[in-house]
This record gives sequence, C-alpha cells and structure tokens, in this order.
Amino acid sequence: MATETDTPTDTPANTEGTGAGEIEARVGLRYTLRQVRRDTTARIGIYTIGFITVVAVLASIDHYVFGYGVAEAIWYSPVQDPEQVERLLPPVGMENQFGQGTLEHPMGTDHRGRDILGRLFYGTRIAITVGFMATAIGLIGGTLIGAISGYYGGWIDDVLQRFTETIYAIPFLVLVIAFMTAFGRNLTFAMVGVGITSVPVFNRLIRSRVVSVREEDYIEAARAAGVKDRNIIFRHVIPNSFAPVLVQATLQIGVSILIVAGLSFLGFGAQPPTPSWGQMLSASRNYMLPAPTFSIFPGIAILITVIGFNILGDGLQDALDPRINN
Amino acid sequence: MGLLRYTLWRVAQAIPVLVGIITITFFLANQIPGDPVEIMLGPSPAQGQVEAIRARYGLDRPAYERFLTYLSGVVTGDLGRSIYYDRPVLEMILLRLPVTLYLTVSAFLFAIVTAIPLGVISAKRRNKPADHVSRIVSLIGVSTPSFWIGLMLIIVFAFHLGWFPARGLPLPWASPADIRGAETQLQVVWTSLHHLAMPMVALGTLQMAQITRIERSSMVESLQGEYVKLARAYGVSESKIARKHAFQVAQLPVITIIGLGLSTALGGAVLTETVFEIPGMGRLIITAINNQDYELIMGTTFMFGVAFVVGVIVTDIAYAYIDPRVAYGEET
Repeated sequence: MATETDTPTDTPANTEGTGAGEIEARVGLRYTLRQVRRDTTARIGIYTIGFITVVAVLASIDHYVFGYGVAEAIWYSPVQDPEQVERLLPPVGMENQFGQGTLEHPMGTDHRGRDILGRLFYGTRIAITVGFMATAIGLIGGTLIGAISGYYGGWIDDVLQRFTETIYAIPFLVLVIAFMTAFGRNLTFAMVGVGITSVPVFNRLIRSRVVSVREEDYIEAARAAGVKDRNIIFRHVIPNSFAPVLVQATLQIGVSILIVAGLSFLGFGAQPPTPSWGQMLSASRNYMLPAPTFSIFPGIAILITVIGFNILGDGLQDALDPRINN
Repeated sequence: MGLLRYTLWRVAQAIPVLVGIITITFFLANQIPGDPVEIMLGPSPAQGQVEAIRARYGLDRPAYERFLTYLSGVVTGDLGRSIYYDRPVLEMILLRLPVTLYLTVSAFLFAIVTAIPLGVISAKRRNKPADHVSRIVSLIGVSTPSFWIGLMLIIVFAFHLGWFPARGLPLPWASPADIRGAETQLQVVWTSLHHLAMPMVALGTLQMAQITRIERSSMVESLQGEYVKLARAYGVSESKIARKHAFQVAQLPVITIIGLGLSTALGGAVLTETVFEIPGMGRLIITAINNQDYELIMGTTFMFGVAFVVGVIVTDIAYAYIDPRVAYGEET
C-alpha cells in the first residue's frame, strides 16, 4: 500500500502517454472513484444515498423554513397529533379489522393517526444527520489520535493506544448510553457518543498507515528540509491515507445509523415528537399484533439506507484492492 | 510452555485496559445530573435522612477519594451497593450475567455454525449463483438492525404461527420448580432452548453476516496460496484441498473477527433483551440508568467491559494455539 503516493490534489503522477492512449495509474483517489463509477452495485449505493439525502434535505427545509407546513399539507402532521385521530389505518392494498387503507396513507397510519410514509420521509433527517456527523466526529478524532500516535511513537503512542483500546473494550451501545446519561439525552450527545465509539476504528487505520508511511523517503526528505512535524502529518501523511479512510468512513456511516436506531429504540435518541425510525419501531412494539406493518416499514427504511452505504463502501473497497474479487 | 507464558502476558496486558474502563465509567457516572439520594427518598425526606444516606454511601467525600475506594473495592471483588435497591451490585450482576452470556454465546455459536459453510461455499463457487445468494444474505445481515429482526421474528413466529414464545429466557440449568409446566430437568432444557431460538437468531444474524464475509475473502485468498498449488500438483482432490489445506489457514482472520464482534454482540444484547423482555445485563443497565443508580451503572458497564476483555483474551489464546508463531513472538 505504500506505493500510493499521489495526493488527492495531484494528477496521477506516473501517467505516461503511449501510442494507444494513456495508461492509468492504478492507485490513488481518482482511480478509485473512476473504478467505483464503473461498478453497477456501487452506483446503486450512490443513488440510494443520494435519494435519501435529498429527502432529508427537503424535510429539513420544510422543518426550518415552513415549520412542517408542507408535511401538514400533504400528510397529517408528522409531528403533532392531528385533531381527528384515525388509529392504525392499514396500508393500501391490505385489509383487516381496521378497514381498507386509503391512498392518502399508502403505508397506513401510526397509533396517533400520523401517516407512516410521511414520518419515514421525515425520519431520514435524523438518520442522515447523525450518520454523517457521528462519522465525521469519529473520523477527526481517530485521525488525530492515530496520526499523532503513529508519527511520534514512544510513550505518546502507548498512552493514546491504551486509551482507544479502553474505549473499544466497552460495548458500543453501552458506552453511548452511559455517555448520554452523563451528559444529556439529546441528539447532539447521541452524535458525539456514537462518534466516540468509532474513534478507535479510524485510529487503528490511520496509525498503521502512518507507521508505514513514516519511513518513506519523501517524509525523510521533508524532515531534512526542515518542515515542521505538524505540517508533515497534515500535508503528507494524512492525505496519503485518504483512500482507505474513505472506505471505512462510508461503512461507518451505516454502522452509526444502526447504532442511533438502536439508541432511539431504547429511548436515548431523538425525543418525540421528532420523527425517527428507531423511535417509530419502539412505539410499534405495542401494536405488533393488530398492525404489523407499523413495525415493518421503519425497519425497511433503515435496512435500505444502511445497505446503500455498505454497497458503496464495498465498491470503494474493491476498487482499492482488486485482488479480493476479480 | 510458550502458550502458558503468552496467556499470562495477555492477561497482564488487560490490566491497564480494565483500570481504564473503571476510570471512564467512574468519570461518566459522576457527570450524571440529578441526585440519586433524592430519587430514592422521594421529594420530601425526613430531616437528616439525606445526610445519613450520603454518609453511608460515601457520597459526601471528594471524587478522587471515592475513586480510590472504588478501585480498591473492585480489586477485592466489591463493586459497591446499589443505592436504589440497597443490595450489593456484584450480587445483582451475578444473577443477570449468566442470562446475557447464555444468549451471547449461543448467538455466536449460531453465527459460526451458519457462517462458515456459507463463506466456504461462496469462496469455492466464486461468482456463481450460490456465491451471489450468500453475499446478498450477508449484505442484508450486516445492514439490518438486530432489534428489528427480533420484532419481525415475534410477529411471524410468535404471533402468527405460534411456534416460539415471544418473551423471557429461562436458563437450562434452572430448577424445574421455577419453570411453569416443567417437571424434569430435560423439560427445563427444552423450554430454555425453545425460548432461546428467536433471540439467538436476532442477535446472531449480524455476526453471521460478518463472519461469512470474512470467511469468504479469507478462503478466496487461501485457495490461491502456494500450499494449495502444491497439494493440487500432488493430485489431492479439490474438495479435500478446500476442506483440509485451504480451510485451516483461512480460519485465522475469522477468529480475530469473532473476538472483535463480541463488543457489538454484547451491546446488541441490550437491544435483544429489550425486545424479548429478557432479564439480563442489558435490562439491568437500562433500569440502573432510569433510577440514576451510580454504583449499579458503573458495575454493569465495568462487567460489560470485563466480558469483552475476557472474550478477546480467549480468542487471542485460541489464535496462538492454532498459529504457534504468535505465542513465540514471531512475525505472522
């Protein structure tokens, strides 16, 4: 892996013109992204994530600009209880003791008469926000710790590594729950908490890269030329580890979404009435017998979102390490 | 001899991590807003009662002093007293821990037993239909929330088909007198397994999917090894190569992933126990948090950490046993 020497801003360094055309540099970020675009499965992942992100952005605009005005016009309010509560309307095409579903509520309604499809759409906000933010926190924390640890070595390395091992030793969910109990049961601390649990993952990745890159000639050259340690780490070492980190980050977003869904299910995530998938599943537990669809749809929403991130991550992985699959 | 020394070395290495876990949990528990004594005594306690209880639980002393007391307590096996229940924390944990371990270990057994064949078949028939099916199954497995699988299993197999009970998990070694409808020990074991089936699958699916993925890629790599080429040159049959030569080497990364998966599985147990209403460690920590029961929160978090550390040590030793180079400190 130490052959990956072009930084994201460089053009592939060893591209050579030949008679027939250019030989691609089979390394680096650009090559990876080009490979991913050729991969049908990975493209499906990109489209899925794109769709959900667009929905999340639209839902946020509706929330911040119109105060859920659009939601109320199309569905029953996904936030407040409507005046006329039609309890547990089944989805369209299904018939049971609650009567025929209507096209107004294609997935039926929940226990407070709110449209399930509408709440699923608005639940994307929590999933996407927390997924990206938690991963960003873990990425920044893990990269800093891993880079410092790997670059300096010695006692700094020992202390930092024991610290991240300790964080890793407490099961993720238990750690986040304890963290949120201590600091506050709200979304901000959910994001920070989930972010902290992914610090060890990025730390390990970056540290192992830094340890191998540290001995490279160009780092030696930079040091000899009097470049400061901080600049060596941030300008040379970290950019050179960018590609595998990208893969891990993509997969980690999926993991974060799963953890946050679990937290919301236990009552530690977004607090009602903010719509979130985990909390919908938690509420659905009391209605599993009369209205199983109430439990089914939010789970499918989580599943589709996480699959999106996982297949994109796998696609990136294959592009980086073609030995495994082709 | 090498293995024994390696074991001792690994155990010694775990000590700073355990001290770290205690430090982190103590720090977090001390950050918790609200007063456990007030929760315990209600809004208008009698005069002097609050102070008396504070003094009894040592809450009136400075934090560093309480930390040192707690640390020395842990060394001697004393995890303090639950303020809310007024019982020793260790006693409460030991009542619940077997249930969680029973569930988690069973989930791992389920995962290993299903994942290894899936992964091997996938690797042997790379890019054929069987491989695609196995890869899709494992992709869905890593992307599905375990508690949702639990809910779906309950809807289908408990509510609609009525095959399995939806809640509870009696231990197989429980006394027949405690289990309704059971007279002999064999019936207790049967009832226990009957209750275990759904939570085990719910908790084990993620591990199953992860192990399948690792098993597949590890097997693919192993099947391209020099030793496989040699075996092939000697005319060993393909099925024997896969079964004996490639398989053994391919298990090393799988053991590593099993050890690391423990953290996810123990956390997942909190959710599984909630879905199936199983009185284990997961329910205990949630109850402790709702009651702001400091000592119990610290004790359960610490025990979760201990369970993980012990699990990792066991897998590391298994690794060293299979690959002796590890124990002798050689490069692998």
